[in-house]
Amino acid sequence: MSQAQIVAFRLALLAAVFAAWQLLPSHGIVDARLLPPLGDVLAMLGELLGRSQVHEAIAVTASEVIVAFVIAVPLGAAIGVLAAENDYFGQIFKPMLFYVFSVPKSIFLPMFILIFGIGFEQKVAYAAFSTIFIVIMSATAAVESVKTDHVLVARSYGATRTQILLRIYVPSMMPVLLETLRISMIFNFTGVMIAEMYASRTGIGHLIANWGENFQMPQLFAGVILLAAVAILFNEVIRHLEVRFSTWRT
Amino acid sequence: MSAIAVEQLSHVYAGAEGGVPALEDITIDVDAGKFVVIVGPSGCGKTSLLMMLAGLRHQTQGTILCAGKPIPEPDPERVGVVFQEASLFPWLTALDNIEFPLALRGTPRDDRRRRAEEMLSLVGLDGFGGRYPHELSGGMKQRVSIARGLVQDPPVLLMDEPFAALDEQTRMTMGHELLRIWSTTRKTVVFITHSLTEAVYLADEVLVMSDRPGRIIDRIEISLPRPRTYEMMATDTFGKLRERIWQQIRKAA
Repeated sequence: MSQAQIVAFRLALLAAVFAAWQLLPSHGIVDARLLPPLGDVLAMLGELLGRSQVHEAIAVTASEVIVAFVIAVPLGAAIGVLAAENDYFGQIFKPMLFYVFSVPKSIFLPMFILIFGIGFEQKVAYAAFSTIFIVIMSATAAVESVKTDHVLVARSYGATRTQILLRIYVPSMMPVLLETLRISMIFNFTGVMIAEMYASRTGIGHLIANWGENFQMPQLFAGVILLAAVAILFNEVIRHLEVRFSTWRT
Repeated sequence: MSAIAVEQLSHVYAGAEGGVPALEDITIDVDAGKFVVIVGPSGCGKTSLLMMLAGLRHQTQGTILCAGKPIPEPDPERVGVVFQEASLFPWLTALDNIEFPLALRGTPRDDRRRRAEEMLSLVGLDGFGGRYPHELSGGMKQRVSIARGLVQDPPVLLMDEPFAALDEQTRMTMGHELLRIWSTTRKTVVFITHSLTEAVYLADEVLVMSDRPGRIIDRIEISLPRPRTYEMMATDTFGKLRERIWQQIRKAA
């Protein structure tokens, strides 16, 4: 099948899903109270985006996501690089990191509430906590993907330590690092959402939980569409960069 | 003055019980412009020796003089190294790979590019500069490696089994190409290989090393005239030289 055909099929499938979402509830085939027609949901989304309460919630959620990300990624990357490069540190801490990585982070949420309350700090702390382990694991893998042969070649041409770092380590690790960025954002976003839905006074997650409890389905679906769009957008931007930096990885 | 002078070099690897002797009493003298091939069984320390000549590793005892001076650390102005396969940086194009040593020294971009283009042309890859390593064949990759080794115009070129991963036919072609490049640049070459045919075909002199601890057990002058041709391989002289090396290696292993 040609690339154009594949794209055409994908678009057709998307159109079919949207058409069904519009037509099935509006013709009474599915219950419109459970699944409001797409048109109503989009209209609601437009209306919500005009409300100051929603603006505020978006601003809170966005700042939580960004702050947690900015804490978890560099910190996790530093720990991961240390674990890979420093034998001593790696041997001591790696097993522990692997163990904690396997535990679902949401079971720690009550502790975070006890320690930090239910405000901004708790959201950031919990999201950073639920993200940092995947960053550590991936950073370790990224360092290990650097070939010793390449380092040797660079040394034989008189490269300094800084040059080896910038000209060998960084480009070797770039594809894995971008992948890490993308996947850690998924964990990070999920962390903020879970924390907001579980106990919060504001934020998009809090609104979504409320709309669900109050059976406000158009609002609920509008919130889902909004979040999905933002998440997909971030993911695709990074994935695009990933493809650009990984053409050589075959 | 010799291009490379190794005197009574020994090397011992640190081990659990005192250490493992790797190289013993190696003395080598290579005149400028000569092509010297080192052969020996696997694990005899050939590669270690080459790493020491490149300043990438330190010997326990003895001296190495390269163009009259010791080489305690890599000096790409004096010594270029061509490694085994897959040593090109896959994220750089062929030209950028060749420019790499110059980029490390901060050579201006235009000079770098011009020099790299010259080298690309020397190794017969005109027009392939924009390709990435994964878009090149095994032979072409090693041509790029050779170009990278020569880009700073060092008097000495060290080659560690550069053609080992190539198929027999490509390997022969590459050997021939290397001799052509060598005859235009007149470098001093130290070349490591497992292939006896390759050794005799390329060398002015073949050094045979013993099994660990590596010692030099024979030095064989290859008096075949230059330029070498494929037909020479069928001659008696070629066969006898090859046989003599083989006997030495068998005794050594």
